[in-house]
Amino acid sequence: MRQLSFILLMLSFLGIGHSQSISDSIQQLDEVVLSDFKLKRYANGYKVTVLSDSVLRKNQASLTDVLRFNSNIYFKENGFGMVSSPSFRGTNASQTAVVWNGININSQLNGQADFNTISTSNYDNVSIRSGGGSVQYGSGAIGGTVHLSNELDFSPHLNHQLQLAYGSFETKRLAYRTAFGSEKWSGSVGVGYLNSDNDYRFLGTDRRNENAAFDNLDISLNLGYTLSKKDVVKAFHQNFRSDRELSETLLAPSKSKLENEDYRTMLEWSHISNRFTSSIKAVHLKESFRYFENKDLIHFSKGQATTWLLKHHFKTDILKRLTLSVITDYSYVTAEGDSFSNPKRNAFSATAIVSHRPIRHLQYNINVRKDVISDFESPLVFSADMSYSIFKPYTLKLNASKNFRVPTFNDLYWNPGGNLDLKPEESFQVDLGHELRFKNILAKFNSFYIETTDLIEWQPNNMNGYWSPVNVANARHYGLESEMQVSRSIVSHQFLLLANYTFTKAEDVDQDQPLFYVPEHKVTASLSYSYKAFTMFYQHLYNGEVTIIGDTLDGFDVGNIGLSYTFNNKNKVQYIANLRINNVYNSYYENVALRPMPNRNFNFNMTLKF
Amino acid sequence: MTTYTFRLLFLGFALLFASCSNDDDTITVTPLGDYENGILISHEGNFGLGNASVSYVSNDFMTVDNGIFEGVNSSPLGDSAQSIAFNGDLAYIIVNGSNAIEIVNRYTFESVATINTGLNNPRYMAFANGKGYVTNWGDGTVTTDDYIAIIDTTSNALEAQTISVAEGPERIMTIGNTIYVAHKGGFGQNNILSKIDAISNSVATITVGDVPNSMQLDASGNLWVLCEGNPSWSSSGETAGQLAKVNTADDSVTMINFQVTQHPSFLSLDNGALYYYLGGSVYRMETTATNLPTSSEIDGLNFYGMTTNNGILYGVDAVDFSSNGSISAYNLSTNTMSGSAELGIIPSGIYVN
Repeated sequence: MRQLSFILLMLSFLGIGHSQSISDSIQQLDEVVLSDFKLKRYANGYKVTVLSDSVLRKNQASLTDVLRFNSNIYFKENGFGMVSSPSFRGTNASQTAVVWNGININSQLNGQADFNTISTSNYDNVSIRSGGGSVQYGSGAIGGTVHLSNELDFSPHLNHQLQLAYGSFETKRLAYRTAFGSEKWSGSVGVGYLNSDNDYRFLGTDRRNENAAFDNLDISLNLGYTLSKKDVVKAFHQNFRSDRELSETLLAPSKSKLENEDYRTMLEWSHISNRFTSSIKAVHLKESFRYFENKDLIHFSKGQATTWLLKHHFKTDILKRLTLSVITDYSYVTAEGDSFSNPKRNAFSATAIVSHRPIRHLQYNINVRKDVISDFESPLVFSADMSYSIFKPYTLKLNASKNFRVPTFNDLYWNPGGNLDLKPEESFQVDLGHELRFKNILAKFNSFYIETTDLIEWQPNNMNGYWSPVNVANARHYGLESEMQVSRSIVSHQFLLLANYTFTKAEDVDQDQPLFYVPEHKVTASLSYSYKAFTMFYQHLYNGEVTIIGDTLDGFDVGNIGLSYTFNNKNKVQYIANLRINNVYNSYYENVALRPMPNRNFNFNMTLKF
Repeated sequence: MTTYTFRLLFLGFALLFASCSNDDDTITVTPLGDYENGILISHEGNFGLGNASVSYVSNDFMTVDNGIFEGVNSSPLGDSAQSIAFNGDLAYIIVNGSNAIEIVNRYTFESVATINTGLNNPRYMAFANGKGYVTNWGDGTVTTDDYIAIIDTTSNALEAQTISVAEGPERIMTIGNTIYVAHKGGFGQNNILSKIDAISNSVATITVGDVPNSMQLDASGNLWVLCEGNPSWSSSGETAGQLAKVNTADDSVTMINFQVTQHPSFLSLDNGALYYYLGGSVYRMETTATNLPTSSEIDGLNFYGMTTNNGILYGVDAVDFSSNGSISAYNLSTNTMSGSAELGIIPSGIYVN
């Protein structure tokens, strides 16, 4: 409570902070174009990797696939296209937050984001921010955060993109996107549909991946309107629905299926003046699922959660290079389902961020946040980060933060087992980064240390015969992330190399054993070469061995290649033909034990841009 | 691996001693296999993770061999081994998650046959009239598709005919050609026994307490059925555990009640006394008694399965369901531990071989 009054105190200072400021037009532009501008403004001391539109289009549509081959995040995917959860820096599935246009969209029911229920079709970029981010993004931002962004471009334009793809296992994809802009208006509309029988052969057997067909539809509508020179209103809407059979394992047949549906809507009004910036967001999120034990029957179990969120961000320049931001939000969450009776949650949070650039090459941010949540006590969290460009190509980055994950509705209210005495998981972390930026080379090295206490685990309770979550485990993670981008042009020949290597140690401190499903080593590399209208690329993933219950699961290597040719590339109307061969070495591999991944397969894609 | 090395060492010593002894006048008994004279422990493993297994522990606890099915047959057992049933020299391992029954020689564990059609959520098995009877839940969320699958024990093939029964058939036992099935209730709760005539397949119903989880037949022909009662989260409300005594001559039932919050399990029978597990303790009750015991025999336990045999009580501890479990043996004349061994992931069923 004392911390809260401190924040309120800081808030009251705003009124008297009538200092003059020189408006930074680039920063203001960020605020107009992006809803998640915290990612650009207050992440100086963090490692942020941006996957551009072109990287997203080159990969397959699921976020799992994009990130598996292009980031340091490791995925536990229950067979291709099935439920997929991330492990970021060795943390568990509910310790990576997914942020949609600035809003944390992890499930209120299980705290996780299923990365196969997120299509990349309709985003302008996806960013990966390594390290704790609870101050800015709330619960679950422990290992890192993944940001899905729609940008609104107010320059005059109108373009369309139509993609048609067909591939192995009867995989069909159709995606259409249009974006337009004028001085007053900006908008984009996107529709993506994916359908696959997904019945790949299990290498070395005569069996196929049975009961694994899936389809999904992603619709996105975004609109921005400039009311005046100082006021912009924006609306974002996204609807995703998927219908998936849940595939069998090598040892257990399956006839079940899972249907998911998500609605996300946000209205935002930003006022940008010389003295201050204020933005208010009203958000509605709805997630729901239906699980069928037997897909041929009408019986199912269901659950859904609805979030109403109001968020205000106020930023002012106190001094020339010192800004203060205060973010307050209020959310109201309700859930209903077969396994709990209508729980509700009221949550309020207040955050203060001081951002200071004392000298040209040094910037630091200090953040403090306090949550007041109706069903339990939540910790005061903070973070501090700095970025110092010591000499020309070299920048030192440092951040430290305290983060948390709140118990989910399942943890608290599941019947039987829900435990109302749970506390949030708490995590402390430090991260030291080095960045070297030459003309054609960008290299990043980060070392991190994370300590998490009061981890929530579901455990059997022999006294009452059912499983119940308890704050029982403590974990320690440390490791190294490195990333390299090298681009080179020789006449018309262009080369681009992107590589990641991650070393991760994650252990249960009390049991003194490695955490399950955390690879010590993960390497991704992609090399692309283009010459005029022709492009080819090769992607490689090495995923090290992981510890699983009572055993280990072998590491694996997978490679993909792609070729593309742009017809008519000098004109406004362009046709791009793209052939992709996944798992070119036909490697047998499992991400999760007993769930083989696809053998060599092909995908042909035609894109029409006009 | 160390247990294997240990066994080899042990075997080496045995050969050494054998070669030193004068075998002119000994009667040699051909061993039936590595796994006789001991206990078999079925392990559920984690549901969906396919790490079910069977362990062997010798009667003297000197030999412990985990993962014997995979060790002998070089193929994994499957997903969620629920139980084992014996018929002659064969052991039938009911693998719930795989919808399969692995049939092996009970002494060598060499695979004989696999049944992997016609089963849906198989649980337990018993034999009568030259046939095996397997309880099946069907789909867990459907209350009307439960059945008993029938297996011809000469061909080990599934018969086309099944016997439809009420929701949640679990434990099954036979007395001559009469089959008793305890309906624990699957995903929900039930409170009946099915009494099936193995010749005509006709089904009669006997009502007992809520959630019957284990059965024992005493020397006087009484079928004791331990009912754990509805759990606290049950939609119909928590109910007390009950011990039902079914007179198999006339199917009359007498009940002994526990307290509402008491949910006992693992009914066992040894030397004319019943044993059961409740809240970390083992209780003993004479079959002639009409009241529940007021004091426990052994305390401080964490059992996920329990049985008794010849004055010894065996219990398995599944610990946290992700690390190796263990088995302990207690001498029932002194109630002291007489042996223990480390097992695999989630041990549950204990069978004297």
